[in-house]
Amino acid sequence: MESHLIKLENVWKIYQMGDVQVPALRGIDLEVEKGEFLAIAGSSGSGKSTMMNLIGCLDLPSKGRIFLGGNDIASFGESQLAQIRGRKIGFVFQQFNLIPTLTALENVMLPLEFQDVDTSKARKKALEILNLVGLSDRVHHLPSQLSGGQQQRVAIARALAVDPEIILADEPTGNLDSKTGAFIMDLLSGVHREDSKSVIMVTHDFHLVKRADRIVYLKDGEIERIEHNHKEQGGA
Amino acid sequence: MKVRKSLRLAVNILVHSKLRSWLTIIGIVIGIAAVVAIVSIGAGLQQDVESHLGGLGADLITISPGGGRASAGFRGPPGHEQGSTATSTDAENLTKKDVQVLQSVDGVALIQATVSGQGEVYYLGEKASVSIEGVDPLVWKEMTTSELASGRFLGPSDYNVVIVGNSIAENTFKQPLTVNRMITIEDKPFRIVGILQESGGFGGDDRSIIMPIDAARDTLEDVGEEEFDSITIKAANTDDVEQIMEEAEQKLLISRHLTEDTKDFRISSSQSTLETMSDITQTISSFLTAIAAVSLLVGSVGIANTMFTSVLEKTKEIGIMKAIGAKNGDIMMIFLLNSAIVGLVGGLLGIGLGTGISSLLPLLGMGIMGMGGAGMTTVITPLLLIGALLLSMGIGMAAGVIPAYRASKLKPVDALRYE
Repeated sequence: MESHLIKLENVWKIYQMGDVQVPALRGIDLEVEKGEFLAIAGSSGSGKSTMMNLIGCLDLPSKGRIFLGGNDIASFGESQLAQIRGRKIGFVFQQFNLIPTLTALENVMLPLEFQDVDTSKARKKALEILNLVGLSDRVHHLPSQLSGGQQQRVAIARALAVDPEIILADEPTGNLDSKTGAFIMDLLSGVHREDSKSVIMVTHDFHLVKRADRIVYLKDGEIERIEHNHKEQGGA
Repeated sequence: MKVRKSLRLAVNILVHSKLRSWLTIIGIVIGIAAVVAIVSIGAGLQQDVESHLGGLGADLITISPGGGRASAGFRGPPGHEQGSTATSTDAENLTKKDVQVLQSVDGVALIQATVSGQGEVYYLGEKASVSIEGVDPLVWKEMTTSELASGRFLGPSDYNVVIVGNSIAENTFKQPLTVNRMITIEDKPFRIVGILQESGGFGGDDRSIIMPIDAARDTLEDVGEEEFDSITIKAANTDDVEQIMEEAEQKLLISRHLTEDTKDFRISSSQSTLETMSDITQTISSFLTAIAAVSLLVGSVGIANTMFTSVLEKTKEIGIMKAIGAKNGDIMMIFLLNSAIVGLVGGLLGIGLGTGISSLLPLLGMGIMGMGGAGMTTVITPLLLIGALLLSMGIGMAAGVIPAYRASKLKPVDALRYE
C-alpha cells in the first residue's frame, strides 16, 4: 500500500554534454508525504532544479523511478503528463513566468482553461484567488504593470487556480527584496497550513528553509543530509 | 482546450506583435488580390467572348478557303479577319459550284456567299482602310444579327450604296458618317443608306462596310468573277449544325476532288469558334492565375517564416503553458489558429483589394485582344470570393503546420529554460 504522495526511487538524471555525460542527480531516494512542507536546499549546481523538474513531471529520470500518487510517471504519455501537471501540480517560478501579453486575471484563468473549465467558472475562481492574494484591484493589469512581488502573487494565484495537491516553488523569493520575499513566504506557508497542500520549495537561501517541515540538503546530485523542523509540533 | 479559447490565445499573440503580423498579412493580401483580380479578368474575358460570339447566332456555319493545317486557328466570321485575307488568296477560292453543292445539303435554310477585302475609303479629305464585305442584299438581311441604328437595309436593285458599321461611322473619321452622305471607296462614289447599331467586340459588323456583292466585285481588287471569299450557311434547325457541317464537308471534298489531307477550305460554326475562343481565353487566364499563384506562394512562405520566428520567440511561454497543463494539441492548435487568422485576415483584405482593382480596370477602358472600343469586362462571382477566402485560410494553416508542430513538440523543461 503506497501512502506517499511522491516517491523517488534511486533516481538518476544524466545530461549529455557533447561527448561527456554529466550526472545531475545520482541515486536519489526520497518520499514526500501529503501535506508536507519540504525544502530542497543546496548550492547552485547541486541538482535541486533538476529534481524539481522531475517531481513536476516536466522531465523524466534517466534511471530509477518516480511515483506520483502510486503511479510511475514514466508510464504516462506526454498528454497524460500534461494533465497531471495541469491538475495536481502548481508551479511557482523564480522568474514568475507569467505570460506577458495576458492580464493578471487571464494568467490565473489559463490553467483552468487548459482543463476545459467553463470560462465564467474559471473567471470566478480566478477572481476569488486573486482576491485571496490581495490583488483584487490589479486583475486587469499586464505583468509589466505589476511589481515583482505582485507578479509573484499572480503566479501563486495561478498555481492555486486548479486546486492542486502539490505546490512546486523554485526559488520563489529569489528575485524579490527581503520584505516582499517574506510576504510571499507567508503566503506559501499559509497555503500549506490552511489548505493542507504539499509544498515543495527549492532554495539556496538557508534562511527560508526554516519555514519547512523538512529540509533536504543536496550536494553534487546526492542527498547530503535531511533535517526536520519540529517547530509546529513544538508549538512554537 | 476548446477551440474558442485557443482562438483567444492565438489572437492575443497576433495583436501583441502587430507590425510583424501586418507585414505577414500584406504578403497574403497581395497574393489573394492578384488572384481575385486576374481570375475576374479571365471570367470577364470568357463572358465577353460568349456574349459576342453567341450574338452571331448558333445556327450559322461558315466555309472559307484556306489550308486544312491552319484550320485549328481562330477565324472569325466573314469580313472581320483583317489581315488574314492574305491567306485566303493562297488557297483556291470558293465558287458558284460550291454554293450549288451546299444547297443540296439537308437542313440548310439560307446560303450567303460573300466577297470581302480591304478598301481605301475617302471622306471629307480623310483616308482610311476598312474591311469591305460584298453580300447578296436579300439573303444578308435575313441572316445578319446586326440591327440598323438608322437608315435601311440594302435592297435587291441597289448598286452603289453601302451600310456602314457603327464603329466606322462613329470613330473612323473626324466627322461621323450619317445616312445619305457620300463616301468614296477605291475611287468609286457610294451613298450611305444605313448605319448599324453597335454590336460590340467580336464578330459583329462594327468595323465593316457592307455593299451589294456586284458592287464589291467591281470595287475590290483580287476578286475573281464567280468566286467568293466565304460562304455562310444558316441551318434551319440549330440542333442540326454538327450534321450539316459534316455533310457539307464531305460534299465539298467530293465536288472539289479533294481528300482530308489536301483539303483547302475550312468549315466552322459560331459554336466551334466559341469553343476555340474559350480555349484561348481559358489558357490566358490559367497562365495569369499561375503567375498570381506565385505571389500567393511567396506570401505563404512569409507566413511560415513569421510563424517560425513567433514560435522561437514564444518558446519560454510555450514551456510555461506546458508546465501549467497545456497539452501538445493545445499548443499546436494555438499556433495553427494563429496562422489561419493571418491567412483569413489577409484573404479578406485581399478580396477587398482584388475586387477594387477588378472594378477599376474596366474604367481604364483597356481593350483586350483587339476588342477595340469595348472595354475590359471583369466578373466576380461569389464562388471566386469564397474560394479565395478558403484558399487564403488553407495557405495560412498549411504554412503554419510545421512551426506549430515544432512548438507542440518542445520539451517543457527545455522550453522553460529558454531565454
